[in-house]
Amino acid sequence: MDFIIQLVSDPVAFYQTHTVLIAQIGINSILAASMFLVLYSGQLSLAAPGFMAIGAYTSVLMGLYWNTPLALDLFGGTLLAGAAGFLVGLPVLRLRGVFLAIATIGFIEALTEGVILNLPITGEGLGLKNPSADPLTGINLVLISVVAVVFVVWRLTRGRLGRAWAAIRQDELAALSQGIHVSRYKMIAFVLSAVLAGFAGGLESHLNFFVDPNEYGVTRTVQVLTFAVLGGAGNVVGPVVGALFLTSLPEIVRFPNFDPRDVISGAILIAVIIFRPQGIVGRGGLAIIRPRWWPRPNRASSAAQAG
Amino acid sequence: MAQQALNAIFIGSIYALFAVGYTLVFGVLDILNLAHSAVFMLGAAAAYSLVVNYNQSFAVAVAGGILACVLMGLVIEYVCLRPLRRRRAPPIAALISTIGLALIIVAAVEQGRPGTLFAWLWVDGANSVRFPSDVVPNPTWRVGGLTLEAVKVAIVPVSLVLMLVLGYVIRFTQFGRGLRAVAENPRAASLMGLDVDRMILLTVVLSSALGGIAGILFGLALSDISPYIGRDNVEIRGLAVIVLGGMGSIPGAVAGGYLLGVIEVGALVLFGSNVRTGVAFAALFLMLVLRPQGIFGAQLHERL
Amino acid sequence: MLLRLDSLQRHFGGVRAVDGVSLAIEEGSIFGLIGPNGAGKTTLVNLVTGYVRTQAGQAFLENDRLTGLPPHRIAALGIARTFQNIRLFPDLSAVENVMIGMHTRLRDDTVAQLATLPFFRRGQQARINDARRLMESVGLDVTEIGKRSAGELPYGDQRRLEIARALALSPRLLILDEPAAGMNPTEKQGIRELIERLNRDGLSILLIDHDMRLVMGVCRQVAVLNFGRKIADGDPETVSADPTVIKAYLGTGGEKEVAHAPGTIGVDHVPAATQVRPSRVTEPAKALLDLQDVWVSYGAINAVRGVSLRVGAGEVVALIGANGAGKSTILNALSGLVPIASGTAVFGSLDLTGAKPSTIVARGLVQVPEGREILGRQTVLENLELATWSRRDRAAARRDIEAMMGRFPILGERRALRASTLSGGERQLLAIARGLLARPKLLLLDEPSLGLAPQMVDEVFAAIEEIHRDGTTILLVEQNALRALEIADRAYVLETGQVQLTGGGQDLLHNPAVRQAYLGG
Repeated sequence: MDFIIQLVSDPVAFYQTHTVLIAQIGINSILAASMFLVLYSGQLSLAAPGFMAIGAYTSVLMGLYWNTPLALDLFGGTLLAGAAGFLVGLPVLRLRGVFLAIATIGFIEALTEGVILNLPITGEGLGLKNPSADPLTGINLVLISVVAVVFVVWRLTRGRLGRAWAAIRQDELAALSQGIHVSRYKMIAFVLSAVLAGFAGGLESHLNFFVDPNEYGVTRTVQVLTFAVLGGAGNVVGPVVGALFLTSLPEIVRFPNFDPRDVISGAILIAVIIFRPQGIVGRGGLAIIRPRWWPRPNRASSAAQAG
Repeated sequence: MAQQALNAIFIGSIYALFAVGYTLVFGVLDILNLAHSAVFMLGAAAAYSLVVNYNQSFAVAVAGGILACVLMGLVIEYVCLRPLRRRRAPPIAALISTIGLALIIVAAVEQGRPGTLFAWLWVDGANSVRFPSDVVPNPTWRVGGLTLEAVKVAIVPVSLVLMLVLGYVIRFTQFGRGLRAVAENPRAASLMGLDVDRMILLTVVLSSALGGIAGILFGLALSDISPYIGRDNVEIRGLAVIVLGGMGSIPGAVAGGYLLGVIEVGALVLFGSNVRTGVAFAALFLMLVLRPQGIFGAQLHERL
Repeated sequence: MLLRLDSLQRHFGGVRAVDGVSLAIEEGSIFGLIGPNGAGKTTLVNLVTGYVRTQAGQAFLENDRLTGLPPHRIAALGIARTFQNIRLFPDLSAVENVMIGMHTRLRDDTVAQLATLPFFRRGQQARINDARRLMESVGLDVTEIGKRSAGELPYGDQRRLEIARALALSPRLLILDEPAAGMNPTEKQGIRELIERLNRDGLSILLIDHDMRLVMGVCRQVAVLNFGRKIADGDPETVSADPTVIKAYLGTGGEKEVAHAPGTIGVDHVPAATQVRPSRVTEPAKALLDLQDVWVSYGAINAVRGVSLRVGAGEVVALIGANGAGKSTILNALSGLVPIASGTAVFGSLDLTGAKPSTIVARGLVQVPEGREILGRQTVLENLELATWSRRDRAAARRDIEAMMGRFPILGERRALRASTLSGGERQLLAIARGLLARPKLLLLDEPSLGLAPQMVDEVFAAIEEIHRDGTTILLVEQNALRALEIADRAYVLETGQVQLTGGGQDLLHNPAVRQAYLGG
């Protein structure tokens, strides 16, 4: 409770004492937006941490070896993550549903366990030191980035592109009948998602003095998935709020000898999916805890489709 | 080299036994039960607690570990799967609900320390522990430069017998026919008077029991029991195994288990220990991309 | 010629879904495509729209070759379609659905979106207005439903919205796949007027429907498919009088000539010689199965609307009617596969509302489903063994299985083969044998003759009559109305989820109203 009281009574002190947490919330929000993009276009891709790792290692290595400025490092990491997204997307996007999820898990594990842990340049299992990290300027960059990312993703979903994604998510066959080039639009979403993940990875590596290869595994993916499931895939704000809530959860609810985060995350995953199974594919997620006075879209029944 | 080949067989047996449970649920229900690795861990953890914290014999511990997994199977079906079937949710939904359950199970064990909520289940927190060395007799033989530990050698017949029994049940008994009927066409099965929900419940419980046995064997043979053995050792390898063998195919899972054992040990010999796990995941990725139906092609349709 | 199909062919396994169909549709026409269930109509549409790969033959839209193109390219070329089972984007609003239809006509607006430029907002508003106009043009009330999610609209509105979405492509050809399915007569009339109005405005339409009244009413040219082949082609009058068409729709009465089809001109009087069996015309006082005012719905669709029917022990009762009349839904509700929304349904002493499928089978109400639903991966013997699932007397069950293979020798011969290797007729016999092994008090047979060649139909019906003689009560659902009525003691004629007509099988056989229910009038 102290946490919330301080937030309300003394925001400046709150900001100063919780800088690390706020930065983490920002990074996780960008990851949530990355996950949102693929879910919004109807693909359960769990590849985000892989692209994040590419972004992180690339930008740190660029800084270390070429002494490039931070902006260029970030750009390089993001660009390479996007390129990797395209290359991975080519074969993987032919898969659907569960198979896509498994293939992307295979990708991240093959990348971390197979490549990163074995390349001398990445420091193998020891990780990579980043002496030029700068948490203090970093946090401002993170906050600006979150706002920019959320704005861009929000605008993208409002136009022709976003409508095509929504159509594909709801019914691929019907989307085809409307002249939508389904595989192209899926690829766009997948690559943009990789770009955002790579960007988040680059930013995160700038906040920490150390890049840890174990950060980019399945555990991370599940964490990001939880943000998105909690927030629903209807609007980018949902997953970002999910990230905000779940990242600050350990600070809000404290038990002696007990870290409730995984238990609560697990319960959220189960509850959201059971009470709103269309949560990740429709306007879902937070909707189940949405207060009564909140404006809500008319309850959609997909039952007519079942017949 | 020969020792490595032996290790491939030992570890492959555990992979196969774990993956058989994984693939059984996929074959019948078309869903991936990602809580299976947590059940694997739970079996080992419960058996360990019974031996060390409750001073029970190993036989009781094995029974208790399996029972814990069976109960967790009930939870999986009633909490994570059945409500979704009722709502005709897409299979992907069950993937997420079982991930949620796995998080809870691992967190519960991980936080079991003396004096905490889950102390009755586990008191070693995130530490890795091992069964006391005298829990089962473990003679070790040396044959022509090879070291043969009885507990490791025993894994092979135990898993093979279990898998053969399962194969027999599915192939030749009325229960097995019913299971295959539900897998192929639940609607037709219910029109023939099968209680589809009950068959699914039995499938999940059976799968969980097999997962628990695999976990106990793993803990015994590799002397490693921790909240993370499921997540780190078999979760994604299990996926690799069932993808290699063709999702839903039980013979495929057995073959895939040994194949993965061979691939890993081969990579170890050829490229050194670091590459070992990476190779398994690369195999998973490439297999899905190049040949999603698995090595035994047609078995995507055959299943079970 | 707007659309030209040149001997299109598509086989699925051994099934010739579309077997060399050629068609030509003129610019500005309404072309009807009809045929009994499983004739290949929807497959043909899927071939034209690129959803299913063509194996042989070609399709052209004016000078554009369609064969080999992906569906989105074909849509962009100007063929819009609706789907048999509505495929709207259920969670998007009605207006958004229509705007997605404009996809190919709009330029990418990503930059304008990111910059939130004012001209974009004007463009956006213009598009929304376009979408609203389109919705109005198909008779939807935009202010009422524009912002509601498509999935929660009433069924009829969903159908219209799907048409509006298709029109948003500005198509050269509109393909409507059963636009009137599941509608009541008033709604059907509305759809008919809509189709005629769209055509008057210059749109060419390919109309697929089971409702002959609709097709015959609006089309100037009609083609009839059966078993994947075109069996007739021409103006509605010629086609509806064509004996092969009547035969395809109503089936044949065994050896009897097609001229005996009910309502066919000149044979409305009853030939005395055919009245071989005295039929019990009234419903039995004591019923084995008793339905009172049963309603069944799938989401927004009321598939069965207040049906009451009874089946007495020892009867053969037929349930006939055109496709989509609700026949199969009634059987599935009886078997516990779809919930009964209201009304009472009692079988013996068992209340069928809310009973589990397995209980229903165990109590002796057994369904042989439409499409057989045999288990193709298991052997014939395994299929039969499974059918005795709920029986405790294993030894007796085993004897019954042997007896069943004696009764249907072909199944005995193929006992060790996978059921997927059986022909359609053999599968039907297997499905019936499977039903009998569950020891039914009442056997529900859903479309036993569907997709079977004539000799096989004879064999299947012979088996059904034999089963009946052995004392099993039968409720039979059939498209092949003539054959069904011939063996039925009584029959109910269903139309759009309601019982329109009931009476003795022999009486209905010669009632022109039956023909009307199928072929329209």
